Amino acid sequence: MSLQITGTIARPGLGPGTWAVITATGETYELKDPPSELKQVGLQVRLQGQLRPDVMTLAMIGPVLEIQSFTIVP
Amino acid sequence: MKKVVWLGLFLIGLFAALWAYLGTVNRGEFDSILLDFRADEAAEIEPALQAIAAEFGVEPRLNSSFSQAEQVYRVSGDRERLRALRRSPLAKLTERIEPNYRYHTLESPNDPDYPKQWNFRSINLEPAWDKTQGAGVTVAVIDTGIARVPDLEKTEFVEGYDFVNDRTDAADDNGHGTHVAGTIAQSTNNDYGVAGIAYRAKLMPLKVLSASGSGEVADIAEAIRFAADHQADVINLSLGGGGESQILRDAIDYAHDKGVVIVAAAGNANQNSATYPARYPHVIGVAALGPAGDKAPYSNFGAGIDIAAPGGSKVDGDLGGILQHTIDPATGQPIFAAYEGTSMAAPHVAGVAALVKASGIDNPDEVFNVLQQSARAVPDDALNYYGAGQLDAANAVQLAERGNVDFRDFFRWLRDNGYLNPRFWVDGGVAALLPKLLMVLGSYLLAIFLRYYFPFQWTWGLGAGLIAGSGGLFFLRGFYIFDLPQWPLRLVGSPIAEWGNVIQGSAVLNPAFASVLIPLGLILLLLGHPQGKGWAIGTTIGMAVFLGVAAIANPPLLWLGMGLPARSFLAINALLCLGLARLALKTEVRPA
Repeated sequence: MSLQITGTIARPGLGPGTWAVITATGETYELKDPPSELKQVGLQVRLQGQLRPDVMTLAMIGPVLEIQSFTIVP
Repeated sequence: MKKVVWLGLFLIGLFAALWAYLGTVNRGEFDSILLDFRADEAAEIEPALQAIAAEFGVEPRLNSSFSQAEQVYRVSGDRERLRALRRSPLAKLTERIEPNYRYHTLESPNDPDYPKQWNFRSINLEPAWDKTQGAGVTVAVIDTGIARVPDLEKTEFVEGYDFVNDRTDAADDNGHGTHVAGTIAQSTNNDYGVAGIAYRAKLMPLKVLSASGSGEVADIAEAIRFAADHQADVINLSLGGGGESQILRDAIDYAHDKGVVIVAAAGNANQNSATYPARYPHVIGVAALGPAGDKAPYSNFGAGIDIAAPGGSKVDGDLGGILQHTIDPATGQPIFAAYEGTSMAAPHVAGVAALVKASGIDNPDEVFNVLQQSARAVPDDALNYYGAGQLDAANAVQLAERGNVDFRDFFRWLRDNGYLNPRFWVDGGVAALLPKLLMVLGSYLLAIFLRYYFPFQWTWGLGAGLIAGSGGLFFLRGFYIFDLPQWPLRLVGSPIAEWGNVIQGSAVLNPAFASVLIPLGLILLLLGHPQGKGWAIGTTIGMAVFLGVAAIANPPLLWLGMGLPARSFLAINALLCLGLARLALKTEVRPA
């Protein structure tokens, strides 16, 4: 299931190694192994990716998104 | 054959009693030795101290500045050095050489940062530790692996597996799994760091989450089956997300069928319903509480929440988090870190589940029941923030023990009534307190074995009979009430077998009392009486233990003296009492 998400990169405190993107409407997606370019809190991004319902995480903050491509919004 | 079993059981009870006695005597811990020099040998002390320094390579010091007058010196050393000192010629210069026993209270662990673990106080953990620390139970931590940080050094591990990298070493490269493991079984009372809940339980590290904290359902399902196949008793899953998965569900059912308690975190999205796997049947879904005992801001709620436990909240800083020893993922170095999350709440429940299992409850559904029933219910919980309520370790262990093993119940009863208070036998100064105490315990142990083979309703009459037969209310003998005759206290303070001594006022056992005669009379008289029978049977079993211990301890016996005839008489009567108890128990019918 491919989808496009626009939001802000966040580093929730619930678990080391966890990165997320939070949309303007407040939905949280946990990023699965994000590239290092995206590991920057507050970054505005547009992500293309797919949900991974077969993946579980220690952070448990929302659906897991595997990124296929991304653009950093200036 | 049955007779052999009987004899075996009797001997087990007897040796358990004696062994426990000897064990108590030898159990003290010490790492230094006290030498109390004789006052009349003052001139010899200095050369003696030098001789000790030369021979053992240690420097004797005055115990404190107050020890000068008494000439009490202290040297470091163990049991071996103690023996060597006692054998050395220096011993003649001393009044005594004895171990400098260390005394410490058991209730509060000595881990220096334990006071920061508000979460353990909020689950009422210390009274539970009085009863069990989880020995004999294995908890599988299915997570990012476990790093052997210093504060896990004293914790036992069993073999695990790394399903991410397919290898047996399930080390942690994230820190989460180590933190979770710490809550369950951090080394405790080790003078270092912090405490863990079931610190005598064994940990099984199973790595399914990568360094970045995510893992695939297939690995998680395999890890659950691995745990079930390798004798894990409890599984902790501080992970979740994704959709329903039949593979995972099957693995959970498999483990549940094998008797494993499965605990999972509810999730941290502050949404209505727990994530999987917490939501599956047979999984205890755990919501998180903040330091004030209310719902933590991140915790999921609603469907799938079975119970709530501290997950912490760092809104007001690290002190509100859950503190354990783990690794810094950036450096791999051990650090004490405060985490928050339902990930931290789940291991509280897993740890207490381990304590409940260690208290003798095996069936996972019963463990679940105990946890739910013992939780402190939260009123007006319309959105199901808390499930059954707030986790309570002491209540859970107490409930687990109640109606389960009556020995513990009896033991607790003894303690609550002051029988086990150390003051009775340390300060009391009443002769032979310990052997008598152990006769009470030994006879109780025997009764448990008996019940295994001969079902009967447990009654307090039986308990009272056990005491009367084995040790009596022995502490009463130390009491003297102004101007009142003391003999009634001595009488109830003595086991029935010693009643003859009370009457005669001597230390010599009277065969008329120290034999099967009185139990026989009691059984014949009371067999038809529903409560009295229990007391008579208890007395008979207690008497069997008293006579058995007496046959070994060899007290003087009227007419028979102290030798083989007396011992044989006592041993034969002990066996007769046992046989009598067995016959009387046969008349009992197992309650429906």
